[in-house]
Amino acid sequence: MVHKLFLVLAAAASALAINGVAWADFTVLVPSSSEGDGLRAAADDYSKMKGTKVEIVQAPYANVFEQGANAGATKSGVFDIILMDDPWIPFFAENGHLEDLTAFYKGAGMEGPDNDFLSKSLAICRNPYNTGPYVCLPYVGNAQMFFYDAAKYKEAGVDAPKTWDDVLKASQTLTKDGGGRYFGYVFRGGQGNPVVADFMPIFWSYGANMFNEDRTKVTIDTPEGAAAMKTFMALRDVSPKGIESYNANEVGTALAAGAAASSINWPNWVATFEDPSQSKMVGKISYSPIPAGTKPGSSEIGHWTMGIMSASKNKQEAFDFMVWATSAEQIKISATRGNPPVRASVFTDPELTSQEQFRHYPVLMEAIQASTPRPRHPKWPEIENAFGIELSKAVAGTITAEEALKSAQAAVEQITGLK
Amino acid sequence: MPKAEKETLAAQLQPGGGVERWAERHLRFLMLAPTVLILLGLTIFPSFYMFYAAVHKISPNPDLPWEFVGPDNFARLLSDTQFHVALWNTTVFTVVAVTTEFLLGLGLALLLDKFIRRLTFLKTVLMIPMMLPPVAVAITWKIIYEPQFGVLNEIMFRLGLPLQAWAGDVNLAMFSIIVADVWQWTPFIFLLMLAGLASLPVEPYEAAALDGASSWRQFWDLTLPFLKPVIAIALLLRVMDALRLFDLVFILTGGGPADRTKVLSLYIYQVAYRFADPGYAAAISLFVLFVTIVLSTWFMKRMRLAE
Repeated sequence: MVHKLFLVLAAAASALAINGVAWADFTVLVPSSSEGDGLRAAADDYSKMKGTKVEIVQAPYANVFEQGANAGATKSGVFDIILMDDPWIPFFAENGHLEDLTAFYKGAGMEGPDNDFLSKSLAICRNPYNTGPYVCLPYVGNAQMFFYDAAKYKEAGVDAPKTWDDVLKASQTLTKDGGGRYFGYVFRGGQGNPVVADFMPIFWSYGANMFNEDRTKVTIDTPEGAAAMKTFMALRDVSPKGIESYNANEVGTALAAGAAASSINWPNWVATFEDPSQSKMVGKISYSPIPAGTKPGSSEIGHWTMGIMSASKNKQEAFDFMVWATSAEQIKISATRGNPPVRASVFTDPELTSQEQFRHYPVLMEAIQASTPRPRHPKWPEIENAFGIELSKAVAGTITAEEALKSAQAAVEQITGLK
Repeated sequence: MPKAEKETLAAQLQPGGGVERWAERHLRFLMLAPTVLILLGLTIFPSFYMFYAAVHKISPNPDLPWEFVGPDNFARLLSDTQFHVALWNTTVFTVVAVTTEFLLGLGLALLLDKFIRRLTFLKTVLMIPMMLPPVAVAITWKIIYEPQFGVLNEIMFRLGLPLQAWAGDVNLAMFSIIVADVWQWTPFIFLLMLAGLASLPVEPYEAAALDGASSWRQFWDLTLPFLKPVIAIALLLRVMDALRLFDLVFILTGGGPADRTKVLSLYIYQVAYRFADPGYAAAISLFVLFVTIVLSTWFMKRMRLAE
């Protein structure tokens, strides 16, 4: 009898294993971060409300890309929805991993996403950028802002930093007075994505760009690029030792612990800085748009967007969930869970903006509208890696800023086949 | 079924019949079959598949067919500077880390050989690092090395020494990774050496002592030659493991700063998963496999273990 029971249990377990996550109506791949946590909570609400079973698979940032790419390349259909960082969109879309949403909108009697979404948030969800069909919907409205300790900046003679020169002036004073334990500026200098993400806004604010307008030429090694590098190197000199290995956590910790006065950062860190259990700087950090160089400052947009995997077997269910999760009502709930919104009505909702924890919303909305996407190229991960190596070498001082620009230009030309 | 056929079948199924005789004749193959099948499935097939992938350009787009490129992916190894950097870093890491671990492990074993048998607690403590998952080790060392709040810089600060960016400095990053690896794997060498020392015969030492041989002479002429097989195994296992280093680098430095800690495993991972180029990743993997096989064979021959 016991034998038979074990056999039945084993057969049931095998069936479940073979069918994978088949017990769910659809499966969503999300990062193991506040963005993924937010969507997980939304999925729980959806399950309770609709009686639909939603399976959430969480993975570290880089693994989300890898698992999504693998599922796409093998057409496994294991994930129905992927929550993507926006620079991944060209890779997923141009390799046929993402579903065009046009037909689903037509089926629902809609033209496309409504006008309450910020225009920049919608532009990144079209492939090609801002002109092609929608391949995803924006969910988390990340765009970089400039974070600074206003009191410290005032002490250093700068009221509100408007330009990178202002930032440098204050940072040089603060670092000099800090005695090796306090610094005016801190940034992500870690090789690869971190250093590129914190350099691009400076790059753009000096009028530089990675490609020319019609994407026929790589334009890293230019006078504008050199001006941006000069500022970047000056900022390195006022940053903590070891900046070459800093990632988001180190930068966030330095600011929250009151060990550094300013940085470029992402809005999801606001919750940490305003949480007394995690921060010594509650209420002391000010938020502003990215400072200007020789041109107006521009944030790097870093939205998290939801797309339907082409191999999904539950596309309609996935689309219905995406439309529900990105509705104004749900985006507002998502905002209260710590994820920046993508809709104007939520950014300006008095119920939110009257609260201290959302005081950065006007600045963030302005930052998103003035943001620039990372160069939209299906080989972006490889380009970012190559550019990140040269920037890392410059930050570490093993090559000069000029050499870094030259090498980066050559590397990106080789990867893209452009001259 | 006709009667004659029935009788033949019955005769074959009888003890000593045709089926039994066939089974007896092929018993050795039948017994080997499961092992061979497992070996084929787990080792031979993936190896051939990797080679098959290495001679193709594989698009991340599943609708595009694999394009046969012959030896192109292998030829790329010659001009790929990132691969050269990773190869050099892997070599430096392997040589320095394994040599240090060996010298420390052997030294500790010689030092504690007489006492350790009574100090079971110490032996257990020494085993802890190698029992920890590499990810846990990497995270622990990341916290130790943290330049602003890490314990190492706190000690430096209290001693009035200049603070260091242990994992972030181009000149210290590889050293920091080697220290973490040495911390984790020296106990492995130590335990193997200890086991080797425990199995040494007593008589040759008694004879050497009677002949007036010094401790150094005894170590050089007796201990080392006796330990040779154990040393060979220990070094071989550590070299093979060091060539596959991934976790420590991935967590501590991500291959930076300035590519100073990019090792082959990390580069293979990046090429396969970040740059979506599994064909080239397979070619690099085959190169690493080839190097490992050549090194192991040469090493075993040198240590006269091959026979």
